[in-house]
Amino acid sequence: MYEIQPGPDLKEKLEILSDAAKYDVACTSSGVDRAGKEGFIGNSVSAGICHTFAADGRCISLLKVLMSNHCVYDCKYCKNRASNDIPRATFTPDELCSLTIEFYKRNYIEGLFLSSGVIKNPDYTMEKMCETLRLLRTKYRFNGYIHVKAIPGASGELLYSAGLLADRVSINMELPTQASLSALAPNKNMLNILNPMNRISGTIAAHRVAIGKEARLERAGINDHLVNSIFGKGSKVTKEAIAGAEHIGIETAGSQLPAINDTFMYPADRKDALLKRPFAPAGQSTQMIIGASGETDLELVRTSQELYKSFDLKRVFYSAYIPLNEDPALPALDTAVPMKREHRLYQADFLLRYYGFQADELLSADRPFFNDRVDPKCDWAVRHLGDFPVEVNTASYDALLRVPGIGPKGVMRIMSARKYSSVNFQMLKKMGIVLKRAQYFITCNGRMMFNIPMEERFILSQLADVEQTSERKLLIRNDDQNAQMDLFSDFNLTTGVV
Amino acid sequence: MRIYTCSRNWDAMLTCIYEAWTSRLGQQNIRLELEPVEQYTLFNEYIHVDVNKGKADSVADAIVEKISSYVYYELTFCSMACEKDVLDNIYRVLILGFAYGPKVLEMVQFKDVMRNNEIRRRLGREVSRFTEAVRFQKVNDSFYVAHIEPKSNLVLALGRHFQDRMPSENWMIVDDVHLEAVVHPANEDFYLRLLSEIELEALKRTERTRDEYTDLWKVFFDTIAIKERINPKLQKNLFPLWARKHAVEFMD
Repeated sequence: MYEIQPGPDLKEKLEILSDAAKYDVACTSSGVDRAGKEGFIGNSVSAGICHTFAADGRCISLLKVLMSNHCVYDCKYCKNRASNDIPRATFTPDELCSLTIEFYKRNYIEGLFLSSGVIKNPDYTMEKMCETLRLLRTKYRFNGYIHVKAIPGASGELLYSAGLLADRVSINMELPTQASLSALAPNKNMLNILNPMNRISGTIAAHRVAIGKEARLERAGINDHLVNSIFGKGSKVTKEAIAGAEHIGIETAGSQLPAINDTFMYPADRKDALLKRPFAPAGQSTQMIIGASGETDLELVRTSQELYKSFDLKRVFYSAYIPLNEDPALPALDTAVPMKREHRLYQADFLLRYYGFQADELLSADRPFFNDRVDPKCDWAVRHLGDFPVEVNTASYDALLRVPGIGPKGVMRIMSARKYSSVNFQMLKKMGIVLKRAQYFITCNGRMMFNIPMEERFILSQLADVEQTSERKLLIRNDDQNAQMDLFSDFNLTTGVV
Repeated sequence: MRIYTCSRNWDAMLTCIYEAWTSRLGQQNIRLELEPVEQYTLFNEYIHVDVNKGKADSVADAIVEKISSYVYYELTFCSMACEKDVLDNIYRVLILGFAYGPKVLEMVQFKDVMRNNEIRRRLGREVSRFTEAVRFQKVNDSFYVAHIEPKSNLVLALGRHFQDRMPSENWMIVDDVHLEAVVHPANEDFYLRLLSEIELEALKRTERTRDEYTDLWKVFFDTIAIKERINPKLQKNLFPLWARKHAVEFMD
């Protein structure tokens, strides 16, 4: 007698497919404001809502699952690669929809994040994903947030449908150079990723223009006040993107994108409700793996900047590489996860998007990695002590925003307070300015908070974020700030015979 | 010093402000407090103020006309906050408002305005904290109940959020601390209901409802964490223990 092995039930499927999806980092539900409708379920808040935080401290905002973890590709870094022997499962569209709806009604999640391994071929996979999303939007009347991963190599029509059904579309870049991509992901190539990215950004722009918005996505309001911002007037206009511009900006791409003179086709006979939806209103995002290949921080930050400027991406995410597979091309299995490096890259990313910094200001060819001890902004400030101290009561947006400890909100509060009276340190403290860091770089009415020597080494040692007390004690004992001043070494005087 | 006290209710607060304003004792000799007063002092005179709709309306009209409707809205929002000095602070901000007009909330050189902004920010964070942390339990076929234990009286703000989010569902959010609930019948507007102890006891039973999806959610919650990155301190920082009392994923 034969006994038929039953397939995994819903619980096992969820376990397998969320486990497979957890290395995707983009779990944000932000970027689009949409009111709810009677008869439908769900709305969307542009600030995003994190419903809970998992044991690793990362937020859970969306139901982050794969459609399937069957995959024909064999990317070396990936857990779901074809050559791994792991339990495999595939959700049916109805299972995914009911999971999403039931979780959403209980306020567990903000929406669905749908990615997938490549079943059979990219088109087949994308078709399955679109089918699920369509079902969710129509039969299940779901009006919440959907983030869909585009499968590199899927056809234009399918990507277009996915964009109309979802709020955010993303294509994972994974590795910023063609060289590392061919080393670690033999089935992918840079053009296969940049091409759809280019078409999606063009289509988003075209849709935005069609409904009377600006072609480029809205950015944080503070960028309007900044001269140097990467989103400022100087940055590229998406008219070029619509025309399929020559985005050769990604210096590391190594090859040129062919000129694409059309956005996605609008199928003329398509008369369904889909056409009423905006195309990916929350924009496009991507993610890069940190630490699996040999890129420097400078290359990564430059790539992100280029992605923001030419493809108008909403976000670039960074994912510290966690060694899962053994392979000579990859770091060894016991390599530490580069979390600090990931953290520094996120800090730098925010400096690009909210603070008017440019990649080349933060790092340079002779310092291609971020400082381990202080954050990129402090690092920059300490290297440019000539620009400080800044007078809080008269400084411009740009100057204030470059002070460590003052962020976009803080600048807005200072500017609003300055209209009615002069600002002092006590007010700054109440406004939420982090004086712990800012005190070294600002004056209020011509006075600094304390009598602070404007000296690079002193300030750097004060700012260094040494969390461990033992480490800190050690540092104080060994640090030169407590050592006796030495005229010759401190001021670089050379000893010589007079 | 004379201290005017009233219950936590916007009309009562406005009446209290009216009484204090018209007492003509000098602003430095007056304080406003919310009931229950925790510690009576020996040399202060306490005066309880009851709701008077007419007086409350006249204060409300004065704020809207002489300051602005925006300021009025902001102050009503602040009045939900749990801070002890919230009523007195609203009164002080109003005194400044009548002197300086609609821009008063930007004039942070006054410590009362600064304090008001602090309260507003904290309350805003608390409201968004609970829009995240509310967890509905499916009680029967089409009825969802959630319990929360917030510091401030914020169920109304939550009601507004969920009204937009689930307009065609029957749901109810119960504030176990302040004994109030917002109730939302499908396709209708939500309303606030004050609860008695007995009603609350009955409602508390819904908390133990479990179904297939609560289990699935726990499975998802556990598997989505990356073992190599486990960081309980960060988790507690972002989702503090006091806020997660009713979050299913942390309950046994």
